[in-house]
Amino acid sequence: MNRAEPERLGGVIRALLSHYWRHPWQAVFLLAGLVAGVALWSAVQIINSHARASYAEADFVLGAQASHWIRSRSGAGVAQADYIALRRAGFRQVFPVVQARVSTADNAPLAIIATDLLALPAGMAGEGGDAFDNASLDWQAFVQPPYQAWFPAAVASELGIAEGEQLALHDGRRLPPAVIAAREQQGRQIFMDVGAALSLLGRDRFTALAVGPASPDDVARLAAALPADLMLDANQQRLDLTQLTASLHTQLTAMSLLSFAVGLFIVFNAVRFSLWYRRPTLRTLRLVGVSVRALALAIVAETLAWSVLGSALGLLAGLGISHALLPSVSASLQNLYGAVVGADLLLDPVTIAIAWGMTLVGLAFALAWPLLLQLRGPVLPGGSASAGVMAEARARRVLLVGAGALALAAAGVYWQMGTVIEGFVLLGLVLFAAAWALPQALASAHRLLGRALAGAPLVQRWIVSDGWAQLPALRTAMMALLLALTANLGVETLVGSFRTALAGWLDQRIGADIYVNSAQLDTRRFVADPVNADWLATAHARTGVTIRWQGRPTKVYGLDITTPDTRALPLAQAEPDALARWAGGDRRILANEQAHYLGGLRLGQTVTLPTDGGATDYTVAGFFHDYGNPYFQFYLPREEVARRWRDVQSTGLALWLKPGEDNETAEAALVAAGAQPGEWFAQGDIKRLSMKIFDRTFAMTAAMNTLTLLVAGAALLTALLAILHERLPEFAQWRALGVTRRELLRVIAVPLALFVTLTWLAAIPLGALLSWLLIHDLNVMSFGWSMPMLWSPQPALKLGLLSAGIVVLVLMIVLSQLTRKLPQAMAQLGSAQ
Amino acid sequence: MLSVSGVVKRYAQPEGEVTVLAGVDLSIASGEAVALLGESGSGKSTLLHLAAGLDTPDAGIIQVGGQALAAMDDRALAALRRGTVSLVFQQFHLIGTLSVADNIRFQAALCGRLDAAFEAELIDRLGLATQLDKYPHQLSGGQQQRVAIARALLHRPALVLADEPTGNLDERSSGAVMALFRDLVKAAGSALLMVTHSRDMADYLDRRLWLREGRLHHEPG
Repeated sequence: MNRAEPERLGGVIRALLSHYWRHPWQAVFLLAGLVAGVALWSAVQIINSHARASYAEADFVLGAQASHWIRSRSGAGVAQADYIALRRAGFRQVFPVVQARVSTADNAPLAIIATDLLALPAGMAGEGGDAFDNASLDWQAFVQPPYQAWFPAAVASELGIAEGEQLALHDGRRLPPAVIAAREQQGRQIFMDVGAALSLLGRDRFTALAVGPASPDDVARLAAALPADLMLDANQQRLDLTQLTASLHTQLTAMSLLSFAVGLFIVFNAVRFSLWYRRPTLRTLRLVGVSVRALALAIVAETLAWSVLGSALGLLAGLGISHALLPSVSASLQNLYGAVVGADLLLDPVTIAIAWGMTLVGLAFALAWPLLLQLRGPVLPGGSASAGVMAEARARRVLLVGAGALALAAAGVYWQMGTVIEGFVLLGLVLFAAAWALPQALASAHRLLGRALAGAPLVQRWIVSDGWAQLPALRTAMMALLLALTANLGVETLVGSFRTALAGWLDQRIGADIYVNSAQLDTRRFVADPVNADWLATAHARTGVTIRWQGRPTKVYGLDITTPDTRALPLAQAEPDALARWAGGDRRILANEQAHYLGGLRLGQTVTLPTDGGATDYTVAGFFHDYGNPYFQFYLPREEVARRWRDVQSTGLALWLKPGEDNETAEAALVAAGAQPGEWFAQGDIKRLSMKIFDRTFAMTAAMNTLTLLVAGAALLTALLAILHERLPEFAQWRALGVTRRELLRVIAVPLALFVTLTWLAAIPLGALLSWLLIHDLNVMSFGWSMPMLWSPQPALKLGLLSAGIVVLVLMIVLSQLTRKLPQAMAQLGSAQ
Repeated sequence: MLSVSGVVKRYAQPEGEVTVLAGVDLSIASGEAVALLGESGSGKSTLLHLAAGLDTPDAGIIQVGGQALAAMDDRALAALRRGTVSLVFQQFHLIGTLSVADNIRFQAALCGRLDAAFEAELIDRLGLATQLDKYPHQLSGGQQQRVAIARALLHRPALVLADEPTGNLDERSSGAVMALFRDLVKAAGSALLMVTHSRDMADYLDRRLWLREGRLHHEPG
């Protein structure tokens, strides 16, 4: 390259970029598409990478990663003297844990967790440890009166607690002064010193002792040193949050990629239009001797500049969106997996690099086709309108052939599909096949409508036929709209089906009037106490033991086979007489659906569980729904559990009241028996809480859907403004022929409304297909839950109205532009245009 | 049919205000065909736009069929252009999504004044009989201009305003189309004001006027 070439290239770039000075809205839309796509994608990426970092930190959670637990066999808790004796015996890795449920003055349930910070083993936490090293937190104030109660920011915000305030409990007691903890590894639990917790709760025993990292020898010595009442259990609850949450993060990533794709449609539109408008400039530059290579270089330079600007602004916007979405994602993670993510979001270099790379690839893709067409053609093309019409028809056919290829690929993936990622590849193929087929479908429908209107008055036919002039410009926007509408409908049907299934499941499963979970309550004595016989109809005391099965913590519950909830246990799949054979001691076991879909169990298959007496075989008699549970779970008759495992824990008590008795009587009896307010829930409260958790869990989905639809709306606006710009002289000519402004607006609006309606109609069956795939394949592969698909016209109608609203809004903007620009265009009629 | 009296039109330019029309008076009777000549930028098209109600003068009165344009709102102006005034431009602006037959009938359909006999005459004389089912992009430039002329005349407008109607055609086609245009305007009984920079084209019409320095002259300068 000689010295003059860079200067020449600079001149070419200046000439090309001067277009944006005259048409700044095109630059705005190009940038808006890039920013919207990058922002939505990067927001999810930022949250995902942040969540993964949080999982690593969440190892702490006071014993979630403890190697073992020391518990009392009687359930009375661990005496302080036993703890001190163990520490004095040299077991420095043992530390106390107190857990309790209390309720606020407003009856909001609260979980408290407490430990002795100074006793935490090195490497887990403690003075200078990694979990509590936040400079803003004063560990000395934490361990000394008046103590501190560390509130996670989200909980403090929900309760309206400010720093230093003392939260009043239901019974009038007050927590220590609040500290809004910057770290949230305690989950939604309020964290305090063990001394402060014992004093607050009026207890003298710890809930349990946790054991930090310990060698097999240490464990053996520890087991030998325990008094008779205490038992040492390997911690079966160790979580692999990264593995557990992989499906949810994959789903979020897939949604963000869809948003990016929709954003790309805007970019594609903007680039296409900008190149279209710059045809004369490109032609002139070629006529004056600028080489194709120099032009290509100039456009590459422009692309690079846009990619840097778009990804930088998109990442900044993504950071803002991720802050806004984080509470919803946190709620999903917390509710589904108990995983907690912190509040500080940061952009990491990998996300920045990928965002820029994707933007660049996206821009190259959006530029490649028109650029190729532009530069491969002759300097002075024939430019006949006929060639344009044929090129448009050819483009639609090419897209249709591409759609067919994608559909074939989708069919291939469907038969081979085995992983969540493959499932999302399938969804992507289906969505893009539909989007690529849409232009031809719109053209065919439009042609049929034109034939149907053959005998209609000329003005009506004119208004409808203008769709042919609008279709090339609207094509991309309609494809983006189809993607957004289909994704919305598919996910709405999934969420609606899930909500209905969950509500029905709760109605069936939550049949008792009150559910109690109290460490202090002696359930056997409470149920047998004749004082309670006046109001208590039936009680179901469940027991359970945690084992590891297929490498995951797995709960085996012991159910009372006589209680109403067990007798009416709804099963998703079952062998004949499953419940009777299971209750009849026939070595039958019931498993949750997760064990079926994720664990690979089949009906009638033998499952081997580790029991105290060694491996024991059971035959799977049925699978029960277990929505919201990320773990495997089994049900056995209570007596069988007691027979096979020595250290069985009480896992709750369900109470059925006699007719006419109210909850207050039962609550008074529970308090008299030692239970504390907050340790029981009424049936209605559980259902309400469950549905609230459900709605919070899917809040993120709704937010992403709305944002995607907005991006599609922006694509529509870009296309219409391009139509307005391109056809302004034509519109002015029509006005000169006596066409009124209202008729002109009808010419713009009717074909647009027609295409949007057809796109909406196409999205309805596609959305149903998407939700069918999500419910029957993706959801089962991701979470192991099955549910019937419930299709309702309501989401489709709602989206139809929303689309109509977007169209009206876009038309209003176009009308204002038209009103502003048309007089000038009319005044220029007849001049060289 | 068209009366222009004391019309002034100024435009703001970076270098200051420019007066394009500095008190123009013009009158065209029904059936009369007038050519308006002048150099580029002399204000010919501006005067045509003012006469069509596409733009408004800074001073003066313009009347079409005795009605003052200044008193008309947007709707009334649209109605005027729909039924009374027809415009023919160098750019044909046919409706690409309608057939040739529909394009010819378009303006007549807008004002509800379809005349089958006159339509047949126009189609025949303009040589469009074999093109009716085609679409504009399938026609040559000359054919497209003939369709635009038919569209402008079918509803027999009282006034035809034409701006370089043959500007996109070659010399031989221009002459043929111009002669036909003049004859058809006469057949429709319309008055015609045609802007052109070609003396040859102007010679086809009844009267010639020159626009120089914002004023009309009866002789070339």
